[in-house]
Amino acid sequence: MFERFTAKAREVVVGAQAEGKARGADAIRSEHLLGSLVHVPDTLALMVLTGFSVTPAHVLADIDALGATPSDSEALASIGIDLDEVRRQVEEAFGPGALDRTMAARGGRRRGHTPFDRSAKKVLELALREAIALHHNYIGTEHILLGMLHSETGAAQRILAARNVQQHVARIMVEELVRGKRAG
Amino acid sequence: MTDATEVAAAASNRDPAIGLAAVASLRELLESLEELQVGNARELGWSWQQIAESLRVSKQAVHKKYRRLGF
Repeated sequence: MFERFTAKAREVVVGAQAEGKARGADAIRSEHLLGSLVHVPDTLALMVLTGFSVTPAHVLADIDALGATPSDSEALASIGIDLDEVRRQVEEAFGPGALDRTMAARGGRRRGHTPFDRSAKKVLELALREAIALHHNYIGTEHILLGMLHSETGAAQRILAARNVQQHVARIMVEELVRGKRAG
Repeated sequence: MTDATEVAAAASNRDPAIGLAAVASLRELLESLEELQVGNARELGWSWQQIAESLRVSKQAVHKKYRRLGF
């Protein structure tokens, strides 16, 4: 189905990897797709969000607020271990980033690949379904956004719902925007 | 952690959420350090037997665990 994705929609999917990794996630979830979506400029998805007075900054702040689990460094501090100091000593011996480069630190995964979880796969599946329902023969950022406005898509849906992005209104906006514009 | 009283307060905290999170993070740190040291030892030509003895585990255990990383 990836060949039906527009260039910008592909950018969103690829960017979700970086988004998840930057947030230290062990899997790419729907909120990482959402974070990636608002990073790609000049898209129909952004135009729809603007229509709801939602900015990329809003969305990114909402995603930041999700990650409230204590960090390793906080947890280790509670038993008197200074992780920054450990890291400093290790890097002195083995070079910059030595500790974080280990397979163990990366959760045992091969470098560069973080799997998409169920919620992220669901977004892409629903994006396809939204495109079909609108009789569009491609999948653009606007369909990815619509795909997020379903309850099965986890955090992305919760963030957008809390920002009052309504599914039926968004669909009408997409239809009208597509009528006058190129897919994006 | 520089503030000793703060450490003492946290360490004496019996909240399992804090204690268990500390153990989990410690285990991850341990795994990273072990991997780094085993890799370094192999690069310096240490045998699996020598590494196992230093880690106080069986040769089979350490070989099985790190062979896949290509050490």
